Amino acid sequence: MDVMYYGDTLIVDLPTGKTEQVEFSPEMLTENGPGLAAGIALYRDHEDGDPLVFGSGLLTGTTAPASSLGFVLGKSPLSGELAVSPLSLFSGAEMKLSGFSMVVIKGDSPKPVYLWLHDGVADVLDAAELWGLDTWGTTDAVRSEMGEQLVQVVSIGPAGESPSKLSAYSINYWGSGDTAALGARMGGKKLKAVALRGLGMLDAEEPQDFYEGAKGLLSEAPAWKGFNKACEGIDAGDIDGWLKPLVHRYRSCFACPAACNTFVKYNEGPSVMESTGVEEPGMLVTGAASAAWLLSGGWKAEPACRAMESMARAGIDLIRGARELAGSPLDDASETEEAVGGLSGGEEAGWPGGDSSPKGLFGPWVPPLADEDEWLLANRIGYVIGICPTYLLASGMETSGLFGLCSSAAGVELDPSMVAGMFS
Amino acid sequence: MQGRSRRAAGDPVFDRYRKVFSEGSTLYPRIAVYTGSGASHSWIWFADIFDRLGLFDVRFIDESSVRDTGLSGFDAFFIGGGDTYEMAFSLGEDGARAIEGFVRDGGFYFGSCAGAYLVLSGVDLEPFTHFNLIDGAMLNSMAAPPEPRCLEHKYKSAYGDGWVFHPVYGEVTVTGQHRAIGQCVNAPLFGGPVIGRAMPEDVLAEYSRLTERAAYLWPRREAEEFMIGRAAVLRSELDGGTVVVSGPHLEHPLYTAANALAAEVLTEHFKGRSGRVSRPSRSAASNSDTAPLLLEIKRQVSNARIVGFGLEKMPVAWRLGHKVWEPEKIRMFLECAWERLPFMEEHAELMGPSGGGLEPLARGYADVTRISKSLKMRIESGRDSQAEASMLLLSLKELTARFLSIYFRLRLETGFGRD
Repeated sequence: MDVMYYGDTLIVDLPTGKTEQVEFSPEMLTENGPGLAAGIALYRDHEDGDPLVFGSGLLTGTTAPASSLGFVLGKSPLSGELAVSPLSLFSGAEMKLSGFSMVVIKGDSPKPVYLWLHDGVADVLDAAELWGLDTWGTTDAVRSEMGEQLVQVVSIGPAGESPSKLSAYSINYWGSGDTAALGARMGGKKLKAVALRGLGMLDAEEPQDFYEGAKGLLSEAPAWKGFNKACEGIDAGDIDGWLKPLVHRYRSCFACPAACNTFVKYNEGPSVMESTGVEEPGMLVTGAASAAWLLSGGWKAEPACRAMESMARAGIDLIRGARELAGSPLDDASETEEAVGGLSGGEEAGWPGGDSSPKGLFGPWVPPLADEDEWLLANRIGYVIGICPTYLLASGMETSGLFGLCSSAAGVELDPSMVAGMFS
Repeated sequence: MQGRSRRAAGDPVFDRYRKVFSEGSTLYPRIAVYTGSGASHSWIWFADIFDRLGLFDVRFIDESSVRDTGLSGFDAFFIGGGDTYEMAFSLGEDGARAIEGFVRDGGFYFGSCAGAYLVLSGVDLEPFTHFNLIDGAMLNSMAAPPEPRCLEHKYKSAYGDGWVFHPVYGEVTVTGQHRAIGQCVNAPLFGGPVIGRAMPEDVLAEYSRLTERAAYLWPRREAEEFMIGRAAVLRSELDGGTVVVSGPHLEHPLYTAANALAAEVLTEHFKGRSGRVSRPSRSAASNSDTAPLLLEIKRQVSNARIVGFGLEKMPVAWRLGHKVWEPEKIRMFLECAWERLPFMEEHAELMGPSGGGLEPLARGYADVTRISKSLKMRIESGRDSQAEASMLLLSLKELTARFLSIYFRLRLETGFGRD
């Protein structure tokens, strides 16, 4: 399979530490659909191994707007049902370029391991020295070992190792939208991390058409900074205004016109541009929901950000953790850390003022910007073609242009009803 | 092989030459490529062009091979870019004599950039004195060249009491009467000579235009005045042999028309000579060790590429002899192996006991990964990285030559067709 997916499907058998590569065939796309639809089919094929499936959408890692989305799929320890969580920032694109179209991780390892996927080579490596580290330490250690800061590290912290149902995997240092406790599944498997890096390139079936199409969509794609635009109408509060005194910069996920992610500094002045030697000046806030919960609970921005950092380091689901913390705002850094350490995991994920119940396959990472049917369709389309569903909903971008790109990229004809049919 | 390089490799311009060399009417040459002291990375582009032309009887040799064997058994000898001083010094008088004897016996010499300077008669200081294969002098030398506008580290090298300098760095256009050139041919000039005092009948192409895809170390108008109309590519007969020298890199893999010009002069030399086609005998038995060894090489080359990519973001360069090496060169060597690994994996069963020398390669690439990581840490911590970089680049050069030797032997065993 050369078009838009690069490399085979990787089957990792954790009990033995062995890997196998099987062809990711064009039939996989035509019979099941790309992206999450193919991932679900692989999950079903290997269900007896209680797998986690890592994958990416058809357009993930391309020049299509907001083509950042990959996924982790597995049985949620919270619901016992199949659940998907996002690979955002640059991890989805790196998953696409890792040299494996999809990765199925089966069974439980007898000892801590991590997976290093690079350019079509899969290494199951010993994680004894990583076990016990928080997600920041793990990311640093893996990147140092591989000698490159662009390695994307999907890891668990002590919460995932325990494994606590409050846990979530973290994408590098910054937490994730894992509201299904798939981080606990990683911990149960003794899978400390999945590290991703590839220097491959994707081939479009009709490169010129794809290029023109993507360029056209990008030229019309709405752009913004911060979280407010992605939370319009859902009573999340003025998150951007609340964070503003701490803001150092905004960062988008891969290929996204919207720079939602907000880097805040609280260990040095936010206007400081040069490197001053402060080891950890702050953090990248990547989740609007966690910020919205703490804001709604009356937290000041700085201690709230410190709380989010503590949760991200520990590998705790930032949304559920923030919701639990929201009712008891704190000021003092040590008290905040103590409060994070005492989280019970008693709250469900959700949005303040919105529907708080988990929505089946998809958790509440994507804000409820539309009615349930439209929200569900945006999630399905997003995970199938690899476009951030939040961007789809917040930008109002027509999906017809993106489906056109699927055609020129891989000869895959899609429309909303076909995508919905993949989940029936 | 990816993107532009893959599209270039598939250019139909190469079909004709592949046909000429495979059908037997033209000698199928045994080729030597110089990878010894002073050679930089650009010799790996010759491997690309030979792949495109279906010429797989290729060896990668150093100065001692040239001196000791006198290029005996080879039909063509290619020298690319690098540190001309180091090349001339290492090859020495014996090497010069070997090369000249090789050409006079009917051999084909192709020198680009440093390989061109090396054999120009007008480059006549020690240690170049013994290398005189073709009439011509480098015009891009003077006692006190003006200060450059940019790329200071690429601008000049000491030459006697003065300097060799480079007014332009990047793509140039050359024009000539040869049918392979047509209207004009673009090729990159990375420090190659601007040639004067050539015999008019030897001039195959002149510099005719400077393009937008170049850095101008001199103001563009002054660079144009200096270069345009001056010789860029020369060809001369020497007894039964042919000497071709080129300032620009005609062998650069992204310049297919320039590749075709190089292919044309090569086929013209060999046309009508005996149609020997030599193939090594196939390995007797398949070998189950080969696939794991190839996987280990793939693993280590991938790891090193990833570190190499990270090194490219760092504001660092190293000077080895007279040559400046940027971190980008590390990945160029690694890509050369990476692009050819799928072919070797496909034909792993033919590679003979222990993969025909794969085991030391696997160890070598593991060392390269280790040194690359160490080098990066050294740079990140602000320590001097010259010695480690030198060790890494020399290791990569030597490993790549060994890798390509194994690869071309396998290509030769598996036939003359395209992938």
